[in-house]
Amino acid sequence: MTTVPPTTITETGAERAEAAPTRWADAWQWLERRLVALTERANPILVKETRQALKSRQFLVTFIIVLIGCWVVSFVGVAVVGPQIYYAASGPGLLIFYYAILALPLALIVPYTAFRSLAAEQEEQTYDLLSITTLGSRQIVTGKLLSATVQMLVYLCAVSPCIAFTFLLRGVDALTTAMMLAMAVLGSLMLCMMALLIGAVARAKHTQIVTSVALVLGLFGAFVGAISLGTAILTGGSVVFREPEFWVIAFGLMMVYVTTFGLLRAAAAAQIAFVSENRSTPLRRWMMAQQACFAGWVGGVLYAFSVYESLGGGPLSDVIIAGGAMASFYWYAMGAMLTGEWPHLSRRVQRSLPQSTLARALLSLMNPGPGSGYLFAVANLTTLVLAGLAALWLLDAAAGTWTPIETAACFLVLAWSYVVGFLGFGRLLINLIRRWAYVPMAAAFLLHVILLLTAIGVPTVVQMMSREYRNAGYTLLQLTNPVWTLAELWDRGMAAVEGEILILATPALAVIALLLNMRSVSTELLHHRIPVPIRVAEDEAALHPAPEARPTSPWELDDDANGTV
Amino acid sequence: MVGARRPLIEVRRLHRYFGPTKAVYDMSFEVYAGEVFGYIGPNGAGKTTSMRILSTLDEPTYGDAFVDGFSVVDDPDRVRRRLGFMPDYFGTYQNMNVAEYLDFFARAYGLRSYQRRAAIDYAMEFTLLETLADKPINGLSKGMKQRLSLGRTMIHDPAVLILDEPAAGLDPRARIELREMIGRLADHNKTVLVSSHILTELAEMCHRVGIIEQGRLLAVGTVQEISSRTHTRSEVRLRVLSDPAVLINYLQARSDVSSVALRAGQVMLTHDGGPEEQATLLRELIEAGFPVVEFGSKTKSLEDVFMHVTEGRVQ
Repeated sequence: MTTVPPTTITETGAERAEAAPTRWADAWQWLERRLVALTERANPILVKETRQALKSRQFLVTFIIVLIGCWVVSFVGVAVVGPQIYYAASGPGLLIFYYAILALPLALIVPYTAFRSLAAEQEEQTYDLLSITTLGSRQIVTGKLLSATVQMLVYLCAVSPCIAFTFLLRGVDALTTAMMLAMAVLGSLMLCMMALLIGAVARAKHTQIVTSVALVLGLFGAFVGAISLGTAILTGGSVVFREPEFWVIAFGLMMVYVTTFGLLRAAAAAQIAFVSENRSTPLRRWMMAQQACFAGWVGGVLYAFSVYESLGGGPLSDVIIAGGAMASFYWYAMGAMLTGEWPHLSRRVQRSLPQSTLARALLSLMNPGPGSGYLFAVANLTTLVLAGLAALWLLDAAAGTWTPIETAACFLVLAWSYVVGFLGFGRLLINLIRRWAYVPMAAAFLLHVILLLTAIGVPTVVQMMSREYRNAGYTLLQLTNPVWTLAELWDRGMAAVEGEILILATPALAVIALLLNMRSVSTELLHHRIPVPIRVAEDEAALHPAPEARPTSPWELDDDANGTV
Repeated sequence: MVGARRPLIEVRRLHRYFGPTKAVYDMSFEVYAGEVFGYIGPNGAGKTTSMRILSTLDEPTYGDAFVDGFSVVDDPDRVRRRLGFMPDYFGTYQNMNVAEYLDFFARAYGLRSYQRRAAIDYAMEFTLLETLADKPINGLSKGMKQRLSLGRTMIHDPAVLILDEPAAGLDPRARIELREMIGRLADHNKTVLVSSHILTELAEMCHRVGIIEQGRLLAVGTVQEISSRTHTRSEVRLRVLSDPAVLINYLQARSDVSSVALRAGQVMLTHDGGPEEQATLLRELIEAGFPVVEFGSKTKSLEDVFMHVTEGRVQ
């Protein structure tokens, strides 16, 4: 039997005692190194604003108010519930209050802080200093958004113990709570994004004041809406998580959310980007993404209606009409902004234009400019309308449609015609005014809206003032009024709107508008890529040197070794 | 010291209109590596506008400007890596100290890890801000803020520095310190474009100056060059051992002398001509028999040149 000397045991123990803290210290140092490396890569604005927020009085006061609110609700809630707390399901009642406390910073304070952080850069004259750094406009917007997210998470952490407490009180399942919190965070993120976009758009002091008031009112509405939605979820029975429809709808909403968020972020970045940068193409990519999602979902809904008889199998044409109406509104709004872009392409943009014939054919519509913007909107809407017409043709045999197929087809064609026509004539008007005056994008958008309102308002007023036609209902006088015409068509069919005349006249006018624009559109589309200046190419080569050529065969290796190559 | 003859700043036919106002009109000049270029002009002359265009904060209506060969319109990102701009205002961030301020801008210029720490240390040492690292920037004096602003401008070690009125509102000591710092920057082969109203200081620190008024660049060169080009008249001081009245009569008869006066035993005259013509005048006086014991002409200061070149018009 071997005996171990006591000294040895003592030494081993000492080694262990020394080794343990060393391991811990190593682990700690490793973690510290990782964290330092992480902060090195972090967005500089996130680092700066987190430092500032932690020292700011506003953050401290809000944080304390949130904590005190939670404590008060906890104490008062428990006191009110009384002994029932041991057996009754009192979780939902308390969760509504905690949710309201959380909604205050998430729906109101954090988005407003995000707006102010960008507006304050202008007021404190730091924006110039920021914009001449090497930070890009997207990095600036992302940094502001990330710092808002950090604040959001801090508030969420402060309230989370209370929310966990409501779970212990029964009556609320974890999935519902998680969904409510996810809604709060995602909603707050979207509000922050909108606030940042407004902050980027409103640069002038007077605009900032007006938008600031409007934003506060809007955020207050969002705050009330968040509480109402939370209350509805908690009091309206359990959410049907097991139903596949819930997840399909949630997935659909998430797609709308993600693409809208991306579009808003690109728009905010475009607002603060340098004038020579390509600010339009990223926006157009997001619009196309939204269009693809929209088309996919309309197709999915149509498929669901056609497959599942339990859904009625009826409103197929109505789904297409509703989709067509939404698409027409969307592309009119987007087209009104795109046609307001400045026609001059900077040399920087011209350097990155598509070069090959195929790329030029496919991607020229993504180039910045009002002409390509007009054609981009028209092309996208045309694709959707053609898809809708194809769907109508395919579903022609479907039984029991609520709206006749020909009415739906007429609706799609008319909606397309109105969008193409109004955007086209609006663009011609903008071009005309631009001969004498500078027309910024906001003014161009306003011109489109004025043109549309005139086309709606004038015939309506004329008809209302006419003794003969006042009570005649819809007449052809309303040819230029898309709202009344399309609503009447959907509601009462083609006969009610003299569809045969409309289907000839309106597309004809749209085609005329399109053709009148084609000259300037083709000028924009014929832009060619220009070469990169030598100095830029040299700098690019210095920044990103080409990898050294590696030998591709043993013979080349030998040559290298012999110094013959 | 002017280094290699490579223009680090090149302005080509720059125009900037604000409505009907021509803030900058057809401006062209070059500034070379290691050169300190003074930018002089009355308020509203277009100095800040052209400096903002060079700093990629504004775009020209027509023309272009290049920093190290890169267009400020087409390649602003490349220009920003090579340029530091110190505006005539100090942008203040709330709840931030000196070290955090510099750290933020170092990060914003893409400096990482030890590079950033080294850049911050160097900027603080250069601008004498080491002892103020933890001081909130809101509590800094005007002079300290200007030093911090200079530190921010040079944090990414740019080849070109554009300083808009850096000495405005500073006390004499702070001005001297700032002037020394700019001198040291030039010693480090930095190209500095600096505007100021304090012309005596500019004259001391600048290799060349550009005089601008109503958006137009009126003259470019060293003070002496501009003076000789534009300032043909000079004040000449004479003392003779003989009767000055005879000398005055002689001078009044000359066509190249516009005014003559006797002050404290010295004859003061306004002479139309440069140094060569003055030498001719002295020779002719001696040949005419005047016992000249003192002959001097007043050296043209930058202020004299500025006043002569500009007309005091404001848009």
